Amino acid sequence: MGLGALVVIGAGNRGLTQSRVQSPEVSASLEGSLLAAPLECVEVAGRSLVERSLERFAAVNLEAISVLVESDALIPPFRTHCRNVKFRVSSDLNMAIREELSDYSRQGIEHAFVNWASTYAETDLLDLFSFHREARQAVTPTFDQHGPLALWVVDCAKAQPLPIEKLLRAAGVNGPSEYFIREHVNRQDHPRDLRQFASDMLRGRCRTGPCGREVRPGVWLDENAEIHRRARVVAPAYIGCDSKVRADALITRFSNIERECCIDCGTVVEDSSVLANTSVGIWLDLCHAVVRENMLLNLEREILIEILDPRVLRATGASRKFVPKIRETQEVLKQISDLQQPRQVLNAWQLGNNNNLIQE
Amino acid sequence: MQTRGPVIVMELPEKLNHAEVKSFLNELQPLLEEDRPYIVLDCSQIQYMDSAGVEMLLHCLEEAMKRDGDLKLAAVSPASAVILELMRVDRLFEVFETADQAVRSFQVFAPETTAEGQPWYAAPQGLADLKAAS
Repeated sequence: MGLGALVVIGAGNRGLTQSRVQSPEVSASLEGSLLAAPLECVEVAGRSLVERSLERFAAVNLEAISVLVESDALIPPFRTHCRNVKFRVSSDLNMAIREELSDYSRQGIEHAFVNWASTYAETDLLDLFSFHREARQAVTPTFDQHGPLALWVVDCAKAQPLPIEKLLRAAGVNGPSEYFIREHVNRQDHPRDLRQFASDMLRGRCRTGPCGREVRPGVWLDENAEIHRRARVVAPAYIGCDSKVRADALITRFSNIERECCIDCGTVVEDSSVLANTSVGIWLDLCHAVVRENMLLNLEREILIEILDPRVLRATGASRKFVPKIRETQEVLKQISDLQQPRQVLNAWQLGNNNNLIQE
Repeated sequence: MQTRGPVIVMELPEKLNHAEVKSFLNELQPLLEEDRPYIVLDCSQIQYMDSAGVEMLLHCLEEAMKRDGDLKLAAVSPASAVILELMRVDRLFEVFETADQAVRSFQVFAPETTAEGQPWYAAPQGLADLKAAS
């Protein structure tokens, strides 16, 4: 009896499992403005959610693992190599799932996990599979305390004749046995969930952990990360590959600095995620935020700001030189020189000296 | 004062005002001047803390960091925590529920010595080593 897995990258699961109060449109617009890729493809503490999910499937020695993705550009970089993983690019993910399940069935793989990568669940996959096999149903949906999850076990042969979207959507409604997940679950619906995931990892609330080496309890440093001796990192925190934390900077409260970032002198990063390739300028106070290149999302106020001054925030490769508009500068200089001109002050009012009053 | 391995645990007085801080610092200063001072300040007895107390904590942290050491706080009462939070000092310290937990956090790893002007840590391992280690 074979077992496979389909890991799907894309926004197609929102209608299937959305269970949050916040509207999917708001999340999608924030996600689109702040991030270049879907949330599940963004590296958190060194690796993306997609990679972490793939590792979980690879760990149970499945016969085949397929990653279905809407476009090539969405495939995130992987740090580890997983066996039996193949990628398939398709604009119609539901059709791609059906075709993959059909392929699996032909190969003798009878059951498959279907997992939208935006949902990361640390459940015992073999226990979930056993539950599905005993229930003898086409689809076994999963859920946790917050509602349904984008993780199913599907009988490849039984699922084939049905449109996959209908099948998965109906699974929770029509009442087949559902599998309850008590373990750690992270849904990536909003950039806030990135922060939550980083915080959970750094606090050790989930089995997956930050990449790199734990140089002192709770402080993870990845390859070639540098921290100036006058900088302070308060555990737990993660500093990614090739990142630099300069003098007098403070990284604190479960913050994660991803790869190729720079936190410049004196800047405080508190309860924040600095995503890859971001440079944060000097003497700033970054709190409760997710930052990527020159975009800053404040999670307390739910405000997304684009910062144009590269001295404050910029992509690592971007130029730091800031050239203000020349005309504006000249105007300001003229105003300053006008102010600096010595004024003619009269000691006393004299007839004939006040030009405004006496006209010849 | 208690010494637990390389870590020194000191209990802060009930009142952390100017007068108390002075006498407490007299006791603590020689320890701060040692190489790599690992200090845990037990805050369980604190009833009152003013700006002198906060300044003392910052001074101790600065001195410890200068010598590649660290200073951690344990058993911070809610009242003290509020003061530290209001002054935005809390984020500088690692805070533990008990002194034992704070001591244990010191004993797992210790940073390697680096030359002045160099970052105190630059990961020497390759990715393959990291994978093997994990």
